[in-house]
Amino acid sequence: MSAIGIGASPNRVGGYGRVTGGQRYVADIHLPDELHVKLVTLDVPRARIVSVDASAALEVPGVRLIVTADDMPQPVPRFGPQFRDRPVIAVGETKYHGEPVAAIAAETLDAAEAAARLVRVEHEELPAVFTLAAALDPAAPLVQDRALRPNDPLAGTNVLREHRVGWGDVDAATADVVVEHVYTFPMVTHFAIEPHAFIAAPDGDGIAVWSSIQHPNWLQKTIAGIVGLPLAKVRVFAPDPGGGFGGKQHTKYEPLLALMALRAGRPVRLVLTLEETFQAVRRTAAEVRVRTGVMRDGSIAFQDIAADYLLGAYADIADRVVGKGSYPGCGPYRVPDARIVARSILSHTVPSTAFRGFGNPQVNWAVESNLTEAARVLGMDPLELRLRNLARRGEAFIPFDTPADGEWEQTVRRAAELIEWGSPLPTGRGRGIAIGIKSGPTTGLSYALVRLLSDGSIVVYAGTSDMGQGARSVFAQIAAEELGAPLDWVTIVMGDTSVVPYDQQTSASRSTVLMGNAVLAACREIQGRLRAMAARLHDLDESVIVVERGVIRLPDRELPILDVLKPGLGRLGGELIGVGEMRKEDEPDHPLGGSAAFFELNCTAVEAEVDPETGDVTVVRYATVSDVGKAINPLQVRMQDEGAAIQGLGHSLMEHYIFDEVGRIRNLGAIDYRIPTSMDLPLEMVSDMVENEDGPGPYGSKGMSEGALLCVAPAVAAAVREACGAVVRDLPLTPERVWRALQEQSRPAAPEEDAP
Amino acid sequence: MQSFAYARPETLAEAIALLDAHGPEARLLAGGTDLVIRLRDGTLRPAIVIDLKRVAELDPAIRETGGRLVLGATTVMTDIAADPRVRRHFIALAEAAAVVGSVQIRNRATLAGNICNASPAADTAPSLLVYGADVVAAGPSGSRRIPISELFVRSGVTTLERGEVVTAIELPLPARRIGAVHVRRTRRRGHDLASVTMTVAVDEEGLTRLAYGSVGPRPVLVVDESGVLADPAAPDAAKAAIFERMFADASPSPRSMRAGPEYRLAMLRVLGARALRIAIERLAGGE
Amino acid sequence: MTQLIPISVTVNGRPRSIEVASHHTLLEVLRDDLELTGTKECCLVGECGACTVSLNGRIVDSCLVLAVEADGGEITTVEGLALADGSLSALQQAFLDMGAVQCGFCIPGQLMAAQDLLTRIPHPTVTEIQEDLAGNLCRCGCYEQITEAVVAASERGPATPGRAAPAAAEPGR
Repeated sequence: MSAIGIGASPNRVGGYGRVTGGQRYVADIHLPDELHVKLVTLDVPRARIVSVDASAALEVPGVRLIVTADDMPQPVPRFGPQFRDRPVIAVGETKYHGEPVAAIAAETLDAAEAAARLVRVEHEELPAVFTLAAALDPAAPLVQDRALRPNDPLAGTNVLREHRVGWGDVDAATADVVVEHVYTFPMVTHFAIEPHAFIAAPDGDGIAVWSSIQHPNWLQKTIAGIVGLPLAKVRVFAPDPGGGFGGKQHTKYEPLLALMALRAGRPVRLVLTLEETFQAVRRTAAEVRVRTGVMRDGSIAFQDIAADYLLGAYADIADRVVGKGSYPGCGPYRVPDARIVARSILSHTVPSTAFRGFGNPQVNWAVESNLTEAARVLGMDPLELRLRNLARRGEAFIPFDTPADGEWEQTVRRAAELIEWGSPLPTGRGRGIAIGIKSGPTTGLSYALVRLLSDGSIVVYAGTSDMGQGARSVFAQIAAEELGAPLDWVTIVMGDTSVVPYDQQTSASRSTVLMGNAVLAACREIQGRLRAMAARLHDLDESVIVVERGVIRLPDRELPILDVLKPGLGRLGGELIGVGEMRKEDEPDHPLGGSAAFFELNCTAVEAEVDPETGDVTVVRYATVSDVGKAINPLQVRMQDEGAAIQGLGHSLMEHYIFDEVGRIRNLGAIDYRIPTSMDLPLEMVSDMVENEDGPGPYGSKGMSEGALLCVAPAVAAAVREACGAVVRDLPLTPERVWRALQEQSRPAAPEEDAP
Repeated sequence: MQSFAYARPETLAEAIALLDAHGPEARLLAGGTDLVIRLRDGTLRPAIVIDLKRVAELDPAIRETGGRLVLGATTVMTDIAADPRVRRHFIALAEAAAVVGSVQIRNRATLAGNICNASPAADTAPSLLVYGADVVAAGPSGSRRIPISELFVRSGVTTLERGEVVTAIELPLPARRIGAVHVRRTRRRGHDLASVTMTVAVDEEGLTRLAYGSVGPRPVLVVDESGVLADPAAPDAAKAAIFERMFADASPSPRSMRAGPEYRLAMLRVLGARALRIAIERLAGGE
Repeated sequence: MTQLIPISVTVNGRPRSIEVASHHTLLEVLRDDLELTGTKECCLVGECGACTVSLNGRIVDSCLVLAVEADGGEITTVEGLALADGSLSALQQAFLDMGAVQCGFCIPGQLMAAQDLLTRIPHPTVTEIQEDLAGNLCRCGCYEQITEAVVAASERGPATPGRAAPAAAEPGR
């Protein structure tokens, strides 16, 4: 059933609890004497808070504490991974539909809810900007207080930042064919099945916080700064999240809860409703104008990309999303002249944050679609066009960054093969193909601690957050492999900042490479000690002993590790402890602060059928192939890629926030925000991986899990166009939109629409 | 959700008395798949919830009696969709019941609840209209029979009076052979609320009955007595003209999140034509 | 003001008598009053299936059932799927073996729906599995693997106590 070892697919570590109901997510945790928190929000997109009257609410039996901005330390603390722009609770103004004005802590959730209904917030509704056009209008109200950006020339606009990347001379470049269009990517939300949950409790002379957070150390630092405690007195517990996808990376309501817990002297807990999660996190939407120049022979002459991303009312990590996501926007191709201008634009909407793909899918949607169109204009096969321009290993396709780090052609050809590209199709069917690329982590720091116990069992401390991607299994497999233990003799400890050493974060598909290497380094340190032990025990020089892959090699024989460990530890017993560090330093002159540790490269090919009368899109076949270096656990790789594909089908075919005329979200919750169900799968899905052991991670692995989401949309849209001729440049491709495109295109002399 | 009193009457008389006594302060609970959502979001704040599931006279059974198929008020969608008599005589209703939500929802959602909720998009409404169902309601002044076509007023509103409880839905066993089908438009293949929901039935004498929902404040029944729609040999243009007349009063809400009005009106025609073809085939195939 | 109503239910084979508020859902009572936190809260509108339990032999979204409605009923939750000696059922084991578990949050609901399906249709087709499990959303996108797990479980038949332990361990190398 399951084997161990690198490249095997043993059952998921941590799987037992997940199938028995024993797995404890934050919402499953209760502390004695806890208070339940409910947030008070306004059903308007933006408002000036005139006054808050909590008198009736305080009368509700069981209510212990009601806080507003006035009850916070003054000035109200602000936080944010990039800018300290976000107050722990709304100050003077709610800047988006759902920003909390007050928070109530009560003995029961019922009491907190009853009290929340009784809080009277006198407010004045203000005009909100919730589209790019509105936010960019010179007369638009400013989302962010100018004072927060004192020396920024853009402070008088809603443009938070502009990122420029380029090489060559786009304005001087010429091409035989130029294709220029505007594409839009909608606001979508993560919709993890576990809503965010938080608990804060006084803990002796410090504080303890439980959160569904992906970055426990980052949260620890934020909390410490806000409550004024040293890091060592702030303990963050980070149980495995029930799905994160980036939406649980950064601090949300933990600081508010921490302050409430200290004020109340008791634990306080907040579990968001699904609707509240839609109002807490989303992907950054975008409008991307692409001007692509190609030559008759199919070579790309230039790419001129202008990407406007619509952030929410607070920056969160979204400006980094814009900068990093747009950066490889030209794709994994040789492009002699390029310009990418990406802007982060604030709006009175839910703060956007990281979301699998981190700004790349938005630009990829536009650029890959444009490339397919360029191929069409040239009368060239879109696969052929891509292969013609695909960077080869070692080519500096982005001049000042890591060169192409894979045999990418293999990946592309494999995807084409799986979809039987080029074979005849029945009428009404079409195929599309697209390639996605994303820079891996540009900087990083992970520590791991490994303990080889006296019986040969192992404890690994790794601060990664396992939110389903299978990090526990990967680290367990590495430790088991290097130190010669069966897989179920390895315990992985994560999610407790008082016990687990520092990990910068879980994001950017970094953990197999960065933390994996740290775990490997820790194991190597132990192997070094074992070598010394063996040398002492067998009266040999260390130089003739090799310890690797779980065995000790003496000149004349091989020994299992236990045969050295037990006598080596001697009568006092004990254990061997190894510490591993994996660090990627920042490069201050690099546009992203550092070059990519690796690239995620994926090719997605789709065969689709469209019902022209209804606009229904059926994905008949779906192929996704990723360049992964080495799959430490192939089943987990497959699951991540196929899962990413299905998530990508969501934003390609059905997901989007719907607003009313003033900027309120209309489709909060699961009834009118549609995500793919088991009935919405491609009729046939195949995934594969290319393993050339050419990655910087353990055993030649690279990071993966975002790649397969990057180029879903352009592959699907290309297939739709081939199938029925419908041209849609605004996601999602709902049946109604496809139908509408067909209607409009069949009208005589209809001008081609560029704007959404 | 806010609290309420909970009553679990064991007789119909008790249930009616409670309902009559509290009037608009009371809500009836059968499957709960609509009610509990509205209790949670606060759009309904009854003082008392009356659970009908222990009322002896309202057992969830399907009985054939006196030329009618009688569906008890608390019969759930799962059982309606699976019942061989429903499938034999009222296949469109079975098909509609089979797409209300998921398995979990269908195990609880009742037909009576679906129609009393009076959503214009109720999936079972079109087939009930086409099959000429009667709703049996019992109230303080006794029992009466309401033709389904007289039940729906607009979203959330029916012609039921204060104190009335639906006790059964009765479907007259068809006197003629019928071919019928239920179709609908949704935003994804997985369970969804319909943007257009429709039942079409043709009978051996050339009568076509078509009912649609979600395109207007209530489900609508339209009839073609000309025989043209039911005639497999009639030209498409002739049928299209009849559809135009049939759908003339369709008034899709411009505010709907599920689909725009233009699309809905177009889909009425597309679904109408497709459903008609299937209904004709089924009639010819003798089911 | 809140009316407390005594109810008697059998949960995972064990009779329980408790008092519940009329407006508390079965989901809330299972999680908070009976401390069975395996059943999860997500959408609370009967769309996602994370709260799926079996009530009187049929799966329901427990977020849409008032606890009082379950009075006298028999409830099975995910905690009741394993065998008496703690070993996993064939279905649970199949979920692990076929890689159907990523973050795991939807899994209790998926298992309840899958168990219900296998009880009704011992050898379901892929279509039947996908249709009958459509009321259980998985954002990690494990649908294919979940389907494979249900197929595998249907082929293996029910587990018996003593068999089907967690992932097989290899003794020391």
